[in-house]
Amino acid sequence: MPITLLIVKVILIPRYINKIILDLDIKRVVEPTIQQIVFLLLVIATLIVIFISSSIIAQSTELDVIPFASGFSAIAIGIYIIIFRKKLIVHVCGFLVLENGIFLFGTAVASELPMMIELGVLLDVFVVVFLMGIALNRIRSTFEGFEVTHLGRLKD
Amino acid sequence: MLGFSILILLPLLTALFCYFVKNLRVQYNVTLLVSLLHLFVTLMVFLGVYHIQLPTFFSFDSLSKLFLMILSNVYFWVVFVSFAYLKRPVTSKAIEGQKYYFLLLNFYLASNSAAVLSDHFGMYWVTAETTTLSVAPLIYYYRNEEALEAMWKYLFLVSIGIAFAFIGILFLTLSANGTLIEGKQLFFWEFIRNAKELNPIWLKASFIFIFVGLSTKIGIAPMHSGDVDATSNAPSPIAALMSGSLRLTALIGVMRIFQIVVPTSSFEFARTILIIGGLLSLFTAFVFMFKVNNYKRMLAYSSVEHLGLITLGIATGGIAFIGAMYHAIYNSITKIVLFLSAGNIHSKFKTREVDKVRNVMNILPKTGWLFLLSYLAISGIPPFGIFFSEIKIFEGILFSDTPFVLALVMIFLLFIFINMGKIIFTMLYKKEGNETTTTQSKGFDIIHLASILLLIILVVIAVSSPEIIYQNILNVGKDFGINL
Repeated sequence: MPITLLIVKVILIPRYINKIILDLDIKRVVEPTIQQIVFLLLVIATLIVIFISSSIIAQSTELDVIPFASGFSAIAIGIYIIIFRKKLIVHVCGFLVLENGIFLFGTAVASELPMMIELGVLLDVFVVVFLMGIALNRIRSTFEGFEVTHLGRLKD
Repeated sequence: MLGFSILILLPLLTALFCYFVKNLRVQYNVTLLVSLLHLFVTLMVFLGVYHIQLPTFFSFDSLSKLFLMILSNVYFWVVFVSFAYLKRPVTSKAIEGQKYYFLLLNFYLASNSAAVLSDHFGMYWVTAETTTLSVAPLIYYYRNEEALEAMWKYLFLVSIGIAFAFIGILFLTLSANGTLIEGKQLFFWEFIRNAKELNPIWLKASFIFIFVGLSTKIGIAPMHSGDVDATSNAPSPIAALMSGSLRLTALIGVMRIFQIVVPTSSFEFARTILIIGGLLSLFTAFVFMFKVNNYKRMLAYSSVEHLGLITLGIATGGIAFIGAMYHAIYNSITKIVLFLSAGNIHSKFKTREVDKVRNVMNILPKTGWLFLLSYLAISGIPPFGIFFSEIKIFEGILFSDTPFVLALVMIFLLFIFINMGKIIFTMLYKKEGNETTTTQSKGFDIIHLASILLLIILVVIAVSSPEIIYQNILNVGKDFGINL
C-alpha cells in the first residue's frame, strides 16, 4: 500500500505537473492576490490555532496530536493557496496540498481502508489531476493565459 | 452475479467497446441496448421479482432500489434522445466532443450505479468521485469558452467538495473509537446498528463535513455555483442527466450519514443544518430568478430550488419525508422534459439569452407547448406529480415543530413561480415588432416523442399512485425511523 502511494503521489503526479509547466511554458513566478507577508502571517496564525485546538481536543478523546494537526493544517493551507493565488496551475498544486493533508490526516485516524478502495482513491486523485492538466492545456489555447482572472464569463 | 454484471460491469465493457468502435450509430445502438437492459433489471429488482446477489461493498436496500430506479429511468431517456441530439449541426470543434460522448455516458452509468448501490463509505467516496470525472468532459461538449470555464469550475469545486466529504468520513471513523466497531470496516449498516454509541462530537463534525462537501455536487446553497454553471453550459441531455440523477447520487451520501444520525442525540442538530441548507437553496433560487437572463441558468436554479425542497422534506421527517422521496421521482422526470425543450429552443435560436428568444409558440409550436406544459409541471400544477409531492412536503412542515418554515417556503415558491412564468411566457409569446410569422412545419422528431411519453408517465404515476412505489417509499421511511 505505501508503495502505490509513493508511486502515485511522489513520482507520477509531480512528473505530470512538471510536464504541464514545461509544455505550456508557464513562468515560475508566484502571483499572489495579497501581500506575501500577510499570507505568511495568516498561515502562521492558522497553524497556531489548529495545533492548540487539537491538543485541547486530544484531552477528551484519543488522538495523535501531531499527525492530526499537521494534516489539518495542510488542508487549511491548501485552501489558502487556492484562494489567494492567481495562476491555475498553482490552484492544482493547492488542491494536491489539500489531498496530501487528507492522507496525513488519515494516518492520524489510523483506520485501515481495504486495498481496493485505497487504490481507487489514488486513481481518482490521479485522474482528477490528469483532467485538470488537459483542461489547463485547453484554457491556455482558448484564453491565452492561465490565470483565474480569465475565468469570469459565467455569472448572473 | 449476473445482475451485478448487467448493472455495473456491462456499462464498463460498453465504454471500452465505444473506445474501439468509432461509428456513432453503432455506439448509439449498443448504448441504448445496455440502458434498456439496465432499466429492465432495475425494474425487476424494484418490483421484487428478481433478487440479486451483490459482491462485498455493494448491497440493495429500499433507498438504493428507489434511487437506482430513478437513475436508470433518466439515463434510458437521455440515451434515447442522444443520437437525434448529436446529429444536429454544431461547430467543427464540437464534432470532437461526439467521439467520447457515448463512452463517457456508459462510464457515467457504471459509476453512478456503483455509487448508489455501495454500502461502504470508502466505496461510495471512490465511485462518487468517479461520477464527477465522467461528467466533467461531457460538460465540455461544445468546446467553447463558456463550456471550458464551466468544466474547470465544476471539476475543481466538486473535487474539493468531495475531499471535504472524505474528511467527514475520517471523522466518522474517529467517532467509532471506543465502540464495538472501532477499527472495523466503514459499512453503513454497521454504523447504523451501533449509532447510539458513536461519539456525538465527531459524529456532528462528520455530518457537517459530508453535507457541506457533497452539497457542491447536490447544488445546495451556498455551494451551488459550480453546479449551476455546469448545468447551464452542458448540452441539454447531459444537463437533464445532471439535474435528474447525478444530484440524487450525491444526495444519497448525505442521506446515509443522516440515517446514522437519526437515532442519536445529534439528530436535532443535523436536522437544523439540513433545514438551513434547504431554505438557503430556496432563497438563492428566489433571489436569482429575479435577475437571471439565461433560460438554461433559470432551469439550473430551478434544480437548486427542488433539491432544496427535497432536503427540507428529508429534514422535516414524517409525511414530508415521503413527499420528498416522491418529489425526487417527479422532479427527475420533469427536468428531462424541461431541458430537452430548452435544448430544442437553443438549437433553433443559437442563444441562451432570454431577450433574444421570441415567439417560440409560432416558430416551434410543439416544443413551445411541451415547454409550457413542463413549466406547469415543475411549478406544481395538478395533475402533474410535483403538485402531490409538494402538498405532502407542505403538510409535513405544517404539522412539524417548525411550522413557520412553511410561510417562508410558500413565499419563495410563489415568487419563483411568477418569475419563471414571466421568463417563459416572454420567450413563448412575445413577438418582435415587424416580424412575419414563419411557421415551420418541422417533422415530429424523437425528442418530442420522448417528452410526450415522459409527461404521460408523470401524470400516470401521480394519478394512479402505484402501490409498489408507495410501499418502497414507506420502507425507506422506516429505515429513517418514520412510522406513519
